[in-house]
Amino acid sequence: ILKGQRYIYSTRLSGDSEQHQGQYYTVPPSHFHTVFPHGLPPRYQQQVKTFNEGCVMVRQPALELISHLKRADYSKPTLRYLLYGVKGSGKTMSLCHTVHYCSTQGWLVLHIPDAHLWVKNCKELLPSSYHASRFDQPIQASNWLRNFRTTNENFLSKIKLRQRYVWTKRESTEEGQPLGELVDMGVSRVKSSSDVVGAVLKELRLQAGGTEGGFRLAVAVDGVNGLWGRTTLKKEDKSPVAPEELTLVHNLRKMINNDWCGGAVIATLSQTGSLYAPSSAYLPQELLGEEGFDSMDPFIPVPVSLYSEKEFESCYLYYLDRHWLQHPHSQTEEGKKELIFLSNRNPSVLERLCAFL
Amino acid sequence: MAASLTGLLKPWTPRVLLVRWSRYNPYYLEPGPRKEVYHIPETELTPEQKEERELKSVRPIKAATNSVTSSVFNDPVLSKFVNMMMKDGDKIIAKGIITQTLENMKRKQVEKYHKAPEGKKAEIECNPYAIFHQALENCKPVIGLTSIQKGGKFYQVPIPLTDNRRRFLAMKWMITECRDNKHRRTLMYEKLSQELLAAFSKEGNVVKRKHELHKMAESNRAYAHYRWW
Repeated sequence: ILKGQRYIYSTRLSGDSEQHQGQYYTVPPSHFHTVFPHGLPPRYQQQVKTFNEGCVMVRQPALELISHLKRADYSKPTLRYLLYGVKGSGKTMSLCHTVHYCSTQGWLVLHIPDAHLWVKNCKELLPSSYHASRFDQPIQASNWLRNFRTTNENFLSKIKLRQRYVWTKRESTEEGQPLGELVDMGVSRVKSSSDVVGAVLKELRLQAGGTEGGFRLAVAVDGVNGLWGRTTLKKEDKSPVAPEELTLVHNLRKMINNDWCGGAVIATLSQTGSLYAPSSAYLPQELLGEEGFDSMDPFIPVPVSLYSEKEFESCYLYYLDRHWLQHPHSQTEEGKKELIFLSNRNPSVLERLCAFL
Repeated sequence: MAASLTGLLKPWTPRVLLVRWSRYNPYYLEPGPRKEVYHIPETELTPEQKEERELKSVRPIKAATNSVTSSVFNDPVLSKFVNMMMKDGDKIIAKGIITQTLENMKRKQVEKYHKAPEGKKAEIECNPYAIFHQALENCKPVIGLTSIQKGGKFYQVPIPLTDNRRRFLAMKWMITECRDNKHRRTLMYEKLSQELLAAFSKEGNVVKRKHELHKMAESNRAYAHYRWW
């Protein structure tokens, strides 16, 4: 196998052709700050910083998703895609690959990096002003709005609001104002940021399929099983909070419902951040639970498998080329066989092994 | 003691004896975990290797310890370092710290490598194992001091050190330096990687301690004749 055949450092953005399966394509550095302010896994971010470039392997699940997105009919209700697989098989990276493809095609991307972050470890839980029994999470909501603003700068001025929103007795956002104003208000007025998130999601849902100035909306949610499980948050009288009682989760569930058209919902299951789920669970039925499965049904399941032999070769050669495999024995055949044995071709385990070898 | 008793001991004597550190009957042979030795075909063996193989088929062999592997990535010096870093027998944490250290060193060096201009790339050493070994070499003292009593007073006398003692001192200094002189919020692997990179380029506190020992030995040259071995 020639070295040059396995990976190409092409700066052209077409990471979506079938023949490049197993090869790496480079994401231009300018895209990292705009498209991925918050989406990438932390170890991958470290790798990008070390190698001074960001390369993503083109794999089967991402190619399948992209081909579905190309051929879907956007006048019909939204299709929902669910990526599932064992721990460390590359679900988040496939999601990021698809998100990058969508943003290069000019779609509006709504990327929620990890839905589990909204159901645990919340320091401030305010009672919602809009609805008596719900709770707001100002910090998480304002962080997400800030990242959303970075991702979709060019859409913020084009989309106009279709409804008047009243926040307090003196503040309101009028009809016809650009979306950017709403988002800025949510970032500055932290107390009402959760309601701003709800308003933004509603507006985008209404306007996504529109024929005049129509844009396509991609909703990418990582760790979607967090929306239907239990939370670790507690009310003041120490009783547990159900996920429905959180404004952010409530609005996001409305987004994932397929009652709007003009876009796609791409979701990933994740056991790593999940609460009260056994570590061996990876199938949709086990992680989503009954309620979650009924809400997500019907969806298109996309299984993400471990590296095939070709993909493993490609990853190995990439690390060799980037001077990452430094141990003299790791560059021999014996070392390679040992790496296959120790990692079982699991992408994240291989990455952690090669880190200290 | 083992050499003199080997002729007298036979396989039917009890397996376990009360000898310092090793409780095995000296009749037992050491295990050989390296795979390459067993892949050599019959014809290419030297007479000593043939004798060794025959002996192994007859005599019993000691059980191998948990830290010894037939993996190509097994490094005895690194295993020793991990054992010295270990507290309360928790090898998992010690091994974890060392792997994080190696990763951290490699990341810093590879980042420097990718950002350096073409001419400077060859000078940057990226292999964390090479850096570790070289750093340890740079920390090993050549000559040591010991306390000898003469005429009621104790004098610090310079003495030669064995290889094992030098390696032990280098590792001990490195670990104590990283445990004591670090900020409360710095993690162990971060401090260790900084010290190892500094020792690789012959700077840093451990190399300074080695130089101070050499200076003390040089200043106490006059007492060298107090040593009688």
